[in-house]
Amino acid sequence: MLETIVYGLTIGAILYFFSIGLSITFGTMQIVNFAHGMVYAVGVYLFITFLPWVAGIFPLALALALVAMLPVAYAVERFIIRRLYGESLDYTIIATYAVLLIGADLIKWIWGAQPQPVSDPLGVSFRFFDVNLPVYRVIVFLSAIALFLGLKAFFNRSIIGRIVIAGLEDRNGVRCLGLDVNRYFSIVFIIGSGLAVLGGVLYAPIATAEPYMGFHILLVAFAVVIVGGMGNLTGTFLSALVLGMVIAITGRFWSTAADTMVFVVMALVLLKNSLLATWRKLTGLGSKI
Amino acid sequence: MEISSPERRIFPIVPFKKSWILREILLIAGCFGLMALLFRIHWVIDFTIFCILVLSFDLLYGYMGRLSFGHVLYYGTGAYVASLMLTHVSPNPLLAIAVGVLMGGLLAMVLGFIVIQTDGAPFTLINLAFNQIGFWLVAYGLARYTRGEDGLNTMAGTVGFLDFTKQPVAFSFLLGCLLLVFFLLRIFTLSPYGVAIRSIKENDDRVRFLGYNIFYYKWLTFVFSSTLAAFPGTLFAVYYGFVAPTIISPFGNIEVIFAVLIGGAGNLYGAILGGVVFKLMSNYLATSITRWEMFLGALLLILVFGFRRGLTGYAHDLLLRLKPRPAVEA
Repeated sequence: MLETIVYGLTIGAILYFFSIGLSITFGTMQIVNFAHGMVYAVGVYLFITFLPWVAGIFPLALALALVAMLPVAYAVERFIIRRLYGESLDYTIIATYAVLLIGADLIKWIWGAQPQPVSDPLGVSFRFFDVNLPVYRVIVFLSAIALFLGLKAFFNRSIIGRIVIAGLEDRNGVRCLGLDVNRYFSIVFIIGSGLAVLGGVLYAPIATAEPYMGFHILLVAFAVVIVGGMGNLTGTFLSALVLGMVIAITGRFWSTAADTMVFVVMALVLLKNSLLATWRKLTGLGSKI
Repeated sequence: MEISSPERRIFPIVPFKKSWILREILLIAGCFGLMALLFRIHWVIDFTIFCILVLSFDLLYGYMGRLSFGHVLYYGTGAYVASLMLTHVSPNPLLAIAVGVLMGGLLAMVLGFIVIQTDGAPFTLINLAFNQIGFWLVAYGLARYTRGEDGLNTMAGTVGFLDFTKQPVAFSFLLGCLLLVFFLLRIFTLSPYGVAIRSIKENDDRVRFLGYNIFYYKWLTFVFSSTLAAFPGTLFAVYYGFVAPTIISPFGNIEVIFAVLIGGAGNLYGAILGGVVFKLMSNYLATSITRWEMFLGALLLILVFGFRRGLTGYAHDLLLRLKPRPAVEA
């Protein structure tokens, strides 16, 4: 059981790395960014390619993958998302989905369709109450907590973070102060993409890399963002951990159902909201007027 | 709030007369008949089934402006229910079609209450999530009944003259189905209901201020569109006699969206033209273009950035430019 809990927290941590970028783009720009999955998947494949070049040094390959992917993320933001900004939402969804498709096919073209395994960079585990726990997974979870605290500090203390938070609440208000909100949003967008690559690389030793990995994690991450509340940073963190646990516990008993259970939870959360709304309408409780 | 652009006009410039419907139906029947002579007939049957699916999606996306990434769920539901009916209950294809459509409609009624609560991006994603659940149920969860990834093999029986093993008969039947769906959608979209849902696409707050119960309209459209999507699913199951989980896979949605966009959204001709063009492309080009998904993605980007009105939209402009502008009737 302890093993399952640690696994769940690890998955939750990875989901958090991935979802935070989605959540911020959702919250700030009201954009559903399917291209996030492309950045994630291509980043992992680049990492796998770089790993032998740098004699298997994990952090160095990670840094190289990040350096390679950040311009790609910038290009997606600059040439696709910003050009469709302020227009109908459907077009951004379709355009970013097209980018995801192109990315998946590019991976199949360059690296082939077969899954690529990545070995555990540490390969050590420690015994805790008669259970073998891989150190690597614990490190992943701890880094997610560090990231959460770091992002909290970033959004509360730094000037960029505060502008973005203000923009989340009232875009036009911030623009009236003479600030170019879009520039700050694109900075945050690129940070989010970098975190997605980071999450993907950290996840690669636990799972395997395959061309459609971006699509699969996107589905789960959308559930995380919807359950946690769009643009809600703490909510995203908590819902990522909870849904990670849901995946781990379901997977323990029924491995193929793991990802699907997340959507069941999401549907329940949505249903709860709508039931509450109906209840309030009927009883007049909690209505604002 | 969405910004209205000129292509989102509610009313077409040329006023539509109800007496044109018969001519339209004859025109479509003629075009499909001609295609059946030109191409292989089983391809055209494939086009017909796909066109019905695209038409049903056009009602939801083109007319009501709600982009769903889970429309294929109802298509697959219809297909699986029809297949199971054929295997377990009776080999009567008409019964299988009726029950499949009914079950698709029931599923849409239940799920509609959840998905219609949301709008915009959450609407798209929740449909996608439900589609993923459906795919999982078919491929793994209920594999005992659906035989998982192996798929279901069935054989539809013969009712009177309707024998699905004879291609001309099957083709005529399916073409009749397409024309029926076209006729229904034409009637619906011309009615006050059609104007109401197009107004919801423009601005649903204003429609609500006018006193319409927009929840009801959205739910009804969702259910209607999903039921119509289950219909081609049942036809697929009955005609091909084989159903595999790929039919309900969420990846199938992009093909439908692509077809609607290339033909021109919010336009029944656009849906049919888009369906045919997409199927022609996937039949002819997919064999010669090895990087099919990349090609599809690039074309989608082109469609979104520079070709939004689709083939019918530009054809419409061209016609208007060629002939003197007709007086706009109120």
